[in-house]
Amino acid sequence: MIPVLLFLHLFLQPQAVAPQAADQAKVLLQAGIDAENRHDVDHAVVEFRKAAELDPSSSEVLLRLGDAYMKKHDAAAAIAPLKHAAELSPDSVPIHQLLGYALLAQGYAAEAIPHLEIARDPAALGIAQLENDEPAKAMVNLQSALGNDPDNPDLLFYVSRAAVAVGSQSTDKLLAAFPSSARAHQTRGQGYYQRKMIPEAVKEYEQAISIGPDVPGLHLELGEIYAGRANWTQAAEQFRAETTLQPGSAEAAFRLGDALLQEGKMKEAADQLRRSDSLQPNMPETLYAMGRALASADASAAEQALNGVLKVEQDTPLAAQADLLLATIHRKQGKSALASREMEDYRRIQGLRGQ
Amino acid sequence: MLAVLPVFAQLVTRDSQFQLTPLHGVDFVLRNSPTPRKYLIETMPGGVALLDYNNDGLLDIFLVNAGHVPDPLRSPVHFERDNPKYWNRLYRQNKDGTFTDVTVQAGLQHAGDTNYGMGVAVGDYDNDGFPDIYVTNFGKNILYHNNGDGTFTDVTAKAGVAAGGWSASAGFFDYDNDGKLDLFVTRYLDWNPETSKTCGRIEDPMYCPPGEFGSTTNILYHNRGDGTFEDVSVASGIAAKKGHGLGVAFADYDGDGFTDVFVANDATEQFLFHNNGNGTFSEVALDSGAALNNSGKMPSGMGVVFQDYDNDRLPDILITQLPHEPYVLFRNDGNKSFSSQELETGFGALSGTSSGWGVGLEDFDNDGWKDAFIVQGHVFDNVHSYDNSLRYRDVPLLALNKRGHFERGNVGSTRAVAGRGAAFGDLNNDGWIDAVTTSLGDGPQFYLNRGGKSHWLTITLRGVSSNRDGYGARIQVNGQVRFATAAGSYLSSNDKRLHFGLGDNKKTEIEIRWPSGIRQTLRDIPADQFLTIKEPERK
Repeated sequence: MIPVLLFLHLFLQPQAVAPQAADQAKVLLQAGIDAENRHDVDHAVVEFRKAAELDPSSSEVLLRLGDAYMKKHDAAAAIAPLKHAAELSPDSVPIHQLLGYALLAQGYAAEAIPHLEIARDPAALGIAQLENDEPAKAMVNLQSALGNDPDNPDLLFYVSRAAVAVGSQSTDKLLAAFPSSARAHQTRGQGYYQRKMIPEAVKEYEQAISIGPDVPGLHLELGEIYAGRANWTQAAEQFRAETTLQPGSAEAAFRLGDALLQEGKMKEAADQLRRSDSLQPNMPETLYAMGRALASADASAAEQALNGVLKVEQDTPLAAQADLLLATIHRKQGKSALASREMEDYRRIQGLRGQ
Repeated sequence: MLAVLPVFAQLVTRDSQFQLTPLHGVDFVLRNSPTPRKYLIETMPGGVALLDYNNDGLLDIFLVNAGHVPDPLRSPVHFERDNPKYWNRLYRQNKDGTFTDVTVQAGLQHAGDTNYGMGVAVGDYDNDGFPDIYVTNFGKNILYHNNGDGTFTDVTAKAGVAAGGWSASAGFFDYDNDGKLDLFVTRYLDWNPETSKTCGRIEDPMYCPPGEFGSTTNILYHNRGDGTFEDVSVASGIAAKKGHGLGVAFADYDGDGFTDVFVANDATEQFLFHNNGNGTFSEVALDSGAALNNSGKMPSGMGVVFQDYDNDRLPDILITQLPHEPYVLFRNDGNKSFSSQELETGFGALSGTSSGWGVGLEDFDNDGWKDAFIVQGHVFDNVHSYDNSLRYRDVPLLALNKRGHFERGNVGSTRAVAGRGAAFGDLNNDGWIDAVTTSLGDGPQFYLNRGGKSHWLTITLRGVSSNRDGYGARIQVNGQVRFATAAGSYLSSNDKRLHFGLGDNKKTEIEIRWPSGIRQTLRDIPADQFLTIKEPERK
């Protein structure tokens, strides 16, 4: 809670309050201000408290007292004088702002929200809404605050928390309202996969597919799980199902081609990779995989694909891989000068990358 | 249902090439002594050798033990190797197929209290006709000379081959063709208890990958022929490259008559040391296409074998490694170059989520094509808590070679172990290659080859000008080629005899190129026999 309090204090800019208390209270108020200026907050609290007892109708004294408590990180003690001040001066922005901070710091987010709304403080309001389990509203206010202070790490932190909470809330709603839907199983599957609980993830995806066999993306995601475990036969099966569902998907064709490549089915792999390239031309990963699939059977087509990679990629790991494979192809053909040139390029890229 | 079960069991048995069989009389347990501190040495042992130490025609088994790891581990370390629980063991095979522990009578019980055991190499370094044993350790290595009377003598100090640091696999070979076996020792990491650390989660630490520690050099010892060796690592160029050496294998990949060296490195580029024929080596893996896998990644090389899988008479390289990347198969394309062919040959679909260690390329079904047998098990004993699709214990992979393409075979066991070492040889002299494997915290596994109908031929070389075992010879039988060596696999040493599956052929022709350069041809040799071939005298 203290970090929140400190953060909120950064946004506090107290306004001057017109003195309306009795003379003695004024003396005490000034003594308190003097103590604050000396950074003696404990003494300031004593003086402000005496002043408030003498002139309990002075919202300025109450605001000063509440502010001093906040400076002492004692939000609990600040709430009472600030609430009283807000009753006395219901339109005072600084009082509502400070009261909102104090309530929020004490964990009373719901109570803080109306005060922060009056104060028009989007950062603190967003935080309060996030704490009050209203992530969508929080997101709006936090984004607004971030617009004015884009590099504030605290704001970035809360925006990120709000984004996660929004996603989680949607997921919870989906799982609560439609627990047996394909999307619910898919969502659970994604969660398991992120936690590396692979058998559980696979089971959820399989259930999702059995409920919604035509839902786009399910086969692709399940295939990627299998591919991540180097289970290429099952991966290819899923990617093939996705390509049947989405014949225009270059990604599905690429994934299928890559899985077939890993299975050692070079001709079939090359066919799928060519199809992917025709759907979405010149994707370097597709061209590299095509070069890999064709390297043994059709060196010239493999060279063409790999040179295609090098037209798109320079000085990247994929470019280095393409150079390495081209060197292998040239070596096999006895073209040692060309192989050496490719190895020079490979080494140059590795050198650039510090390897 | 009960009535169906025996039929089902029979079908499974009939289908499998191997049968997991007890080794009667072998009570060895590989005690690696894992601690919560995850000292990396704990997960790397241990080797096994198949050798006929007493020349009675039956293969015996030597097993390397690890040791007790104190917690915490501090230098100088005492691994309690004097305790019989942690001894290396030699088991002599009896005529009835059982084994007798002859460790004490052979004088092999002293493994060195400050040595944590790793691997074993076998070779007749003094050409006296009896195989000698070299044991690698974290600590100092030991050379045991075979006295020929059933006993061994520790001759390390005299021979000058103690090395030091963390040695892994080793192998005898004759790099200068002078008729005397030299010794190559891989070393893994520049590691000691003081620099040890853990990785992963604080509450559930795991062993660190090798990249967290320094790399180191391999060692080449030249055999002077007087019972001593000279460390020629620097002079030969071997020490010019630092890596994370684990496996080592030998073959003459470019046919120049000199044996080359391949070192499987863990998570660095692999090393191919080309023998220049003048006592020096050049490391040429990258420019030969044998340093990186097909996607340009550095393999986590563990075990390695250097033999011809596709019967084009050129030795190829099969490397085992960690999961999610296929075991690497570098095909020798001629022109002194290799191309990674693991996908084309089917290893992409066979490797999957397994980690491989000991490996052999042997013709297990005698069809004339060398198959692969790979011992598996993950490095991390708690890998499941990090990724529940991976497993610490695994069954071996039998990959049957169907004319150059590998397909999964039935290994005859579903017992998962933390597999490490593997040695291959014909234990029961039936013409079919068996396997003995090691696993952490467990006894050795004996995969008895159940045989079949195909023909075979097993050759023992008897060098005269060449080294007595003929290591480094190139033998061609019915178009198949083997390079004579006991090295290869992981930390282990294989039956030195050369085995060939002949399929339906009842007769065969044998061509030998001895390390001395002498060529020899034998025609109309009947199949299904153990044949000893003596090197002809130089004309």
